[in-house]
Amino acid sequence: MLRFLVGFFLIISVIHTEQVFANTFVFTAIPDEDESKLRSRFDKVATYLTNQLAIEVKYIPVKSYGAAVTAFRNNQVQLAWFGGLSGVRARALVSGSTAIAQGVEDPNFQTYFIAHSSTGLKKSSNFPIIIAGKTFTFGSKGSTSGRLMPEFYIRKHFSKSPNKVFSRVGFSGNHSRTISLVQSGAFQIGATNFQVWKKDLAAGKIDTSKVSVIWETPSYPDYNWTIRGDVDKNFGSGLIERVKTALLNLKDPDLLASFPRKGFIPASNADFRPIVTVGKQIGLIE
Amino acid sequence: MEKTLFSLEKTTIQYNGHAILSDISLRIEEGSKIALVGQSGAGKSTLLTQLYEASNRDVALVPQELGLVRNLSVFHNIYMGRLNRHGAFYNILNLIKPTQKELINVRPVAEKLGLADKLFAPVQELSGGQQQRTAVGRAIFKGSPVFFGDEPVSAVDEHQSHTVLSTIMKSHKTVILSMHDVKLALHYSDRVIGLKNGVKVLDESTRGMKTSDLDDLYQE
Amino acid sequence: MLAVSVISWIYADIEIITQDPWNEVMRMVTGIVTPDFLETDNLITAIVNTIAFAILGVAFGNFLGFFLALAFHIRLVRAGCAFIRAIHELFWALVFLQVFGLSALTGILALAIPYSGIFAKVYAEILEEADTTSLKTISQSTGRISIFVFVRLPDAWIHFKTYSLYRLECGLRSSAILGFVGLPTLGFHLETAFAEGKYSEASAILIIFFLIIATIRKWSHAKLVPLYIVVSLMVIPWGLSDISITNVIRFFTEDIVPHPFRVSGPIDMITFASFFAWITTLFMDQALPGIIATIILTQIALVGAGALTLIFFPLISPKFFGFFGRTLGHIFLVITRSTPEYILALIFLLLWGPSMLPAVIALALHNGAIIGHLMGRYTESMVLRPDAPKGINLYAYDILPKIYRQFLAFLFYRWEVIMRETAILGILGITTLGFYIDSAFADLRYDRAILLIIITAILNLGIDVMSRTIRARLRLRTRVDLL
Repeated sequence: MLRFLVGFFLIISVIHTEQVFANTFVFTAIPDEDESKLRSRFDKVATYLTNQLAIEVKYIPVKSYGAAVTAFRNNQVQLAWFGGLSGVRARALVSGSTAIAQGVEDPNFQTYFIAHSSTGLKKSSNFPIIIAGKTFTFGSKGSTSGRLMPEFYIRKHFSKSPNKVFSRVGFSGNHSRTISLVQSGAFQIGATNFQVWKKDLAAGKIDTSKVSVIWETPSYPDYNWTIRGDVDKNFGSGLIERVKTALLNLKDPDLLASFPRKGFIPASNADFRPIVTVGKQIGLIE
Repeated sequence: MEKTLFSLEKTTIQYNGHAILSDISLRIEEGSKIALVGQSGAGKSTLLTQLYEASNRDVALVPQELGLVRNLSVFHNIYMGRLNRHGAFYNILNLIKPTQKELINVRPVAEKLGLADKLFAPVQELSGGQQQRTAVGRAIFKGSPVFFGDEPVSAVDEHQSHTVLSTIMKSHKTVILSMHDVKLALHYSDRVIGLKNGVKVLDESTRGMKTSDLDDLYQE
Repeated sequence: MLAVSVISWIYADIEIITQDPWNEVMRMVTGIVTPDFLETDNLITAIVNTIAFAILGVAFGNFLGFFLALAFHIRLVRAGCAFIRAIHELFWALVFLQVFGLSALTGILALAIPYSGIFAKVYAEILEEADTTSLKTISQSTGRISIFVFVRLPDAWIHFKTYSLYRLECGLRSSAILGFVGLPTLGFHLETAFAEGKYSEASAILIIFFLIIATIRKWSHAKLVPLYIVVSLMVIPWGLSDISITNVIRFFTEDIVPHPFRVSGPIDMITFASFFAWITTLFMDQALPGIIATIILTQIALVGAGALTLIFFPLISPKFFGFFGRTLGHIFLVITRSTPEYILALIFLLLWGPSMLPAVIALALHNGAIIGHLMGRYTESMVLRPDAPKGINLYAYDILPKIYRQFLAFLFYRWEVIMRETAILGILGITTLGFYIDSAFADLRYDRAILLIIITAILNLGIDVMSRTIRARLRLRTRVDLL
């Protein structure tokens, strides 16, 4: 038995020793929707970038928005697919870092307020004041479309914090979960990312007899690819530009579905100033 | 006249208001071989402890409860007799793996006491007699000129008792043993101290003494 | 204490929120009986990582704890150990994630630091109780180290080994749980699977987890420990550990400095005024509600655990059930107590929505099963009089009165453990202190997070002291290394 175990573990160790790639370019993405298969989805993007950039590119999965920002700040990832708020936070922490690309949809992003059918609420173009006193779920605590913008509109219309407006406030963790929690009736109202709503609707995951959109926020800028400023110095000059080009040239619908976006367009730090203003206003950014 | 090693002057030990030793005075000379006899509860162990405390503790001791480290082997327990002679590093080395040098030192002691084949057995796996011999081995290995033993052969069979006791006598100049076996006591000692209810009732040379002379000690 | 618990019930937020939990229960049951081992990405890596982190964390904690135990007579060391073990490993992980990022070091330290505090305490007690009769025969001139290694250590060693094995089991549980905050262990995939309702996948991961725990005695040979450590060091993902000392320095000199001090130029009266405002807001808006919720939840869960213990222990007691019944009882208790309470809470949360109820039930079940197991074992050695009654009468008039003090002792020992778990359940969205700590980390406000963690630790220490006082007053004694 002893010998068997020794042999077994030696084999394991040989197979599983993590290879340390010198100078691997690493990226991550905020876990904003279905987390399973996150790795298989983004590994394809890593392969695409490896081919385009002719350097080793690796993806690492993270469990939260905060972890994505921390990894970027600590230079464990050099490139990240952030939300509006996490991108602003990350760029504030890493001087010299820039937003280089965003989704075609991102300059005009929206949050959908959704409600369970038992509330009897119907879609309206005015902010639904009637949701006061009901139960409400945000998405992740660090999300732009699932937290920052809905909280902004709630505070704007009620002049009170969400805790005081609703009988119960939850944080589902991500957008798909917000939809399923409202659909199951665990929460009466929720706020979710409109892209994820459309994607899940198309995929047949949403039962519209149980959950429906009751209000759409005005548009705001959201997701973006942000890269560290020291990448040129550490990985060879011109890499930032090449990463940007590779992202803008990404046309494979299979890869784009991971985000989900129709394509990528250029972005700059200045595009996200509205997010900074709103973040400061509701106290999520200091 | 030999040099006096230890002495007690009118010592009384009380426990819960009950006298265990009363008014004991005695003098132990260098080179004497003394047997403490008396019924159990007569105060033999207390007297021995009292003498041990009065010594500077550089006495080889076999207490009644033996004081062995049960998880360690016979070798290690015997080796512990000389723990003070080495530095911590050397001791730890010998704890992990006995050195050749110490094996050469310890083995003869174990052989004399009939423990050679059990040298590396943990003490807790040994019989009562074997454990007692291990404790004697540790005391002998200490190499002190004085030996105190509280019933050191009570669990050892008769044949081996002789081997053990003569080894003790040969290796130490001064010996004090508490014994319940009167025959053995008279055979190996040159002076016998008898206790009865904490009082010293007898303190004589064993020359010409018969076992029946001690019967008084064992009568109510 | 009972009074506090009763009051807690009144203020507790207990309700079933989901409209249709039975539908979800059916899906869960279906998932559990149809485990799917192939669905999860990188499952093998997660298994290897879970074991490797556990081995390294426990080994390193053991090593540190041993030396701390030697210095345990120093008051500062005792207090320091109490403090580091009052902070749950998940909170340690959240802190180290900021300092070292997603690196192997984060996982190892998150386990090793709190465990070293626990090891130190238990080892110090074991050494204290070691058989020292041999001390009498040893020459007074012997060095202290020699006396220690020959007299105290050999007797304590066996207890050390038993306890280390038990800790390894805890370590495996903790290591799996670290996945919930992003380390690449089983919890990473388990949380995803549960949250997305992929119950077949979750079932497979749980089965693997139980198998690892159940076979622990088969593979944990003392002789193999060095090999395990070496193999673990080789397989854990060091690849990302680009640990930079600047990150560490930045964390301590900038990140955790309270905001008013960080942004202030020269420190003056205004700085102190705004610091006072900062800390008051933090305390009133977050710490206080968090503390209240934590205490309420702890008390209800403690009473619940006590009640369940009284139901659970007969299930494995030969005084009440035959061989077949007891075997079923054992299986039930093994599963309930080896499932981390965090995972139990997650499951109930999916069923009943985010009130306190899931946390109460999870904590009561897990701890009830642990104490129930110990109590059941305890009744095995009891001798009954020949004309003893049977069934309910035996339970109420004979067994229960006899074991009641032991039962209380165990329950009080778990008090502090339950509180530590209560705090951590906040990460799942129940508004205990952990909720506010998790929020502070999500907002990248490490100054708040650290302060809230310290408050949590102080609360735990308070419970620890209170439990010890009560046990001393009731003269309840039991072996610590059992729990």
